[in-house]
Amino acid sequence: MLDADAIERLRAEFLALLNGATTDRDLQGVRDRYLARKGGVIAGLMKEVATAAPADRPRLGQLANRLKTEIEEQLAGRRDALAAGRPVAGAVDVTLPGRVPPLGRRHPLTRVRDRMETIFTRLGFTIVEGPEAEDEFHCFDALNMPASHPARDMQDTLYLASGMRGEAWTPTGPRTHEAQAADIRTLLRTHTSSMQVRYMQTHEPPVRIVVPGRVYRRDNPDLTHSPMFHQMEGLLVGEGISLANLKGTLLAFAREMFAPSSRLRFRPSFFPYTEPSAEVDISCWACDGAGCQQCKGTGWLEILGCGMVHPAVFEAVGYDPEKYTGFAWGMGIERVAILRHGVDDIRLFFENDLRFLEQFPV
Amino acid sequence: MRVPVSWLRDFVDVPVDARALAETLAMRGFETASVDDRPAPPAPPWGPGAAGAGDAVIDFEITANRPDCFSILGLAREVATTWRLPLRTPGAAPGLERQPLGVGESDVVGVTIEDPDLCPRYAAAVADVTIGPSPAWLAARLEAAGVRPISNIVDITNYVLMEIGHPTHAFDLDRLGGHALRIRRAKPGETITTLDGVQRTLEPEMLVIADAARAQAVAGVMGGAVSEVSSSSRRVVFESAYFTPTSVRRTSKRLGLMTEASARFERGSDIAAPLVALERIAALLERLGAGRVVGPVVDRYPAPRGPVTIHLRRERLASLLGVRVDDEDVVRIFRGLGLDIVPAADGWSVTVPTFRVDLVREADLIEEVGRHYGYDRLPPIFPAPASPPAAPDPRVARDGQVRRVLLAAGLSEAFTYSFIEQRAHEAFGLADEAEVVAIANPLSGKFEVMRRSLLPGLTDALAHNRHHQRRDVRLFEVGACFSASAGEVRKAGIAWTGAASDDHWSGTRREVDFFDVKGLVERLGEVLGVPLAVEPAAAPMLVPARAARIVVANPPFAWPALGLLGQLLPAVAEARGLPAADAVYVAEIDLDGVWAVRQALDRAAGTTAEAVAPLPRFPSVVRDVSVLVAAGLPASEVRGTILANRPGGLVDVAFFDRYQGKGIPEDRVSLSLRLTFRAPDRTLTDAEVQRAMDEIVALLAREHGAVQR
Ligand SMILES: [Zn+2]
Repeated sequence: MLDADAIERLRAEFLALLNGATTDRDLQGVRDRYLARKGGVIAGLMKEVATAAPADRPRLGQLANRLKTEIEEQLAGRRDALAAGRPVAGAVDVTLPGRVPPLGRRHPLTRVRDRMETIFTRLGFTIVEGPEAEDEFHCFDALNMPASHPARDMQDTLYLASGMRGEAWTPTGPRTHEAQAADIRTLLRTHTSSMQVRYMQTHEPPVRIVVPGRVYRRDNPDLTHSPMFHQMEGLLVGEGISLANLKGTLLAFAREMFAPSSRLRFRPSFFPYTEPSAEVDISCWACDGAGCQQCKGTGWLEILGCGMVHPAVFEAVGYDPEKYTGFAWGMGIERVAILRHGVDDIRLFFENDLRFLEQFPV
Repeated sequence: MRVPVSWLRDFVDVPVDARALAETLAMRGFETASVDDRPAPPAPPWGPGAAGAGDAVIDFEITANRPDCFSILGLAREVATTWRLPLRTPGAAPGLERQPLGVGESDVVGVTIEDPDLCPRYAAAVADVTIGPSPAWLAARLEAAGVRPISNIVDITNYVLMEIGHPTHAFDLDRLGGHALRIRRAKPGETITTLDGVQRTLEPEMLVIADAARAQAVAGVMGGAVSEVSSSSRRVVFESAYFTPTSVRRTSKRLGLMTEASARFERGSDIAAPLVALERIAALLERLGAGRVVGPVVDRYPAPRGPVTIHLRRERLASLLGVRVDDEDVVRIFRGLGLDIVPAADGWSVTVPTFRVDLVREADLIEEVGRHYGYDRLPPIFPAPASPPAAPDPRVARDGQVRRVLLAAGLSEAFTYSFIEQRAHEAFGLADEAEVVAIANPLSGKFEVMRRSLLPGLTDALAHNRHHQRRDVRLFEVGACFSASAGEVRKAGIAWTGAASDDHWSGTRREVDFFDVKGLVERLGEVLGVPLAVEPAAAPMLVPARAARIVVANPPFAWPALGLLGQLLPAVAEARGLPAADAVYVAEIDLDGVWAVRQALDRAAGTTAEAVAPLPRFPSVVRDVSVLVAAGLPASEVRGTILANRPGGLVDVAFFDRYQGKGIPEDRVSLSLRLTFRAPDRTLTDAEVQRAMDEIVALLAREHGAVQR
């Protein structure tokens, strides 16, 4: 006798069979059993409905049709699920690692330097480079540090045992062998400021340059010292250039280099080749000046030395110090890299340990 | 310079606590190394400078240009100017008494300056003394300032040194032969035992204070042991002089002897201070009951110097600082600092006292105004460019391009030291003494000579990584190399060991070989605009037959080699700490040389070098051919022979295989060439191409004994 319970039993039986079907074959078997036109369970059910009591017929017909639809849907869903789990000819395991083209890492000092160069280029500065082997005139005398000047003590210099020919380049290009041979270098520059002199000797004002490069001091390597490190020198010369302009330039740089909220603090200081001179602190970007471990609670980080070009320097290069004024600064590239990346040992920059180098983003 | 705040109060009523004082003076140019609290010291007889439970000692870092601030007085002047307070000067307040002393000739001591260039002023005063300990307040002040108390007489000289910054010295008069003080240069080989007990040999460059017989002090640096004040001294002579800074500095450096006195004299002491210092000493003798000055002060000062007057223009001040400072502020600042200032045409006339040795020109005065006006009050004003920026140094873009190419090839960038040990040069066969530039004063044997090549440093970097479990290491560096004949030259170096490419699950591992490194060299030539070729060559650092030099391909002019490449000799690698079994491939290119070639090529080619060629209008025909040639024949010669003759329609020759082994006679090698033919005006016929092919095979048979396979 057909009733709602009987239809429900058919449904439970179907679901049990469906659950047991793990292959296409199983699934086909279930489909044949229920949906075959001849002899299928559903076909039989429909016949029974047709023969049921007229009063029950509409309700039973409705239930039977609902069961048929459900069986069709369940079978289709099961078929798709089985298809998804089955290897297809030519399929790839998309989760395996791709064939990434090789890519080396820029040295962290190059990264910092590149960033500085980009910013200063945008600010209208020209990038020039200078020789690392220098002579005393360019490194000291022309920078208002005559032989007797106590400031020469401030930077212990590495001297060359025998004079060496000058570099094959000038700020404007390759030079002749004769000019090169006549130019004798005796020391390793202690600062990129020597290039200020070379550039002004060969160019008329106005001047707007930055000079990145390698410098040397007679310091034994330890956590915070290195006999070799890198600086970026800046020089701007023109008419009516002021200390306020120096502040404006460095602030524009700092806000792009470090943080848009950066503030600068200028503390009077002393360098023989600038007057007035200042040390510059930048507000700590880790705590925005509130005080933290990075800035040792002060809110400030010492970042560079600078000042207005000393008139004696202009005299040494043949500029008229009455007509022109300008400013210069020198920034340690390692210093910036150390602060930015929390490097605790300057020697890491020169060990070239890939475990260190590979930590920096490309 | 360690400054007890309580001592500072003798001169000025410090209005803030020690930390605020330190912070504020830091913004006036005096950095602080430390601020240390300490219990209130014993009060001096004229009463405590300020009531309070404690004191503090601030350690200021004094810049080299401010010897006047190597003193309590000098810093007090800065405090007074900063807070607009009155300054009590020596002689004008309790605790700062000066006992007026007459100047004349002494019948006890004879003073002669024999070298007025090195000693422009020398003053001396004789005193009867009773040696004993100093009172607690004075000893405590010295200790706080970092000076060890010794005896009242020595302590008085040190007290005056710290207080007004002028070094003095006390000799035991009765130990001076002939009661004479002769200020002269040392005699050759003359010796002196200084107060620290060290016997020192002097040089005629050095100035000494001698008695009738011998040196009794190294002028401005340290006294001698013989005439040292001792517990038995009855009469002393106090020296208060001015020594020429460069002389004291030279002597101090030569002797390796830095003292409180030499630090001040070499930076420039106040030539007006000698008498003031003696008058303070006389007053302190009296206060301590330690003795009294007898007779006049002998003051040898053959060429007196006066203060210097500098003109300061109002407009210049405003234009250099970038802000207009009120006239009253300018006057207040200079007066506070002890300078005289009077109005003058378009500005002021400023008279600089002798203690400010750093103020010699207008810019120096402008700094003083800026410093005390406050740099923080200057507005930041970005300077408008006055002209378009100048052209950049072409090396910057060039080196950047080299870096990008090598990074994209998977090499990481190294920074190695520019100085290396000569042993490294030796290992690489670069030790030629005529070329090596040595450092005169090296820090150590590790940093003794300038590198001639980047390869020793890069090899060391490979070794470092190899020791830290990295078997595959690819590094490059762009940097300066140094040699006597070439000077400073920028090079690019490459060092590669281990896998040729990153390991991948899909493939088998291949080790780096010669052609990986050669490929990089060729790619660099391409991006630098100079076609580079390599030719076999020997190099002491490289494995024979896996060594080559880098040259310009088909140069239109003679040009020396631009670098080298090949496999590093296992013995060299081993000498630098790498396993001999690891193959290491290296290359080095002279970037400056390549650039010079590029410029020469550009000049030769004119402006058409970068013009685009029209695309071919007719199809090309490709034919392959394999030939057997002698195993030792460089492939480049085969290619060169074909290109030199270039039979009809040939446009390109490429190699696609090189085979030695089964089926090939032992002394022969099979080279497979892919030849491309094309005509600009028509499609080539098979017959035409075949003729050209026959011609090439015949040519190779004739020139190289080649046999077609
Ligand atoms: Zn912070």
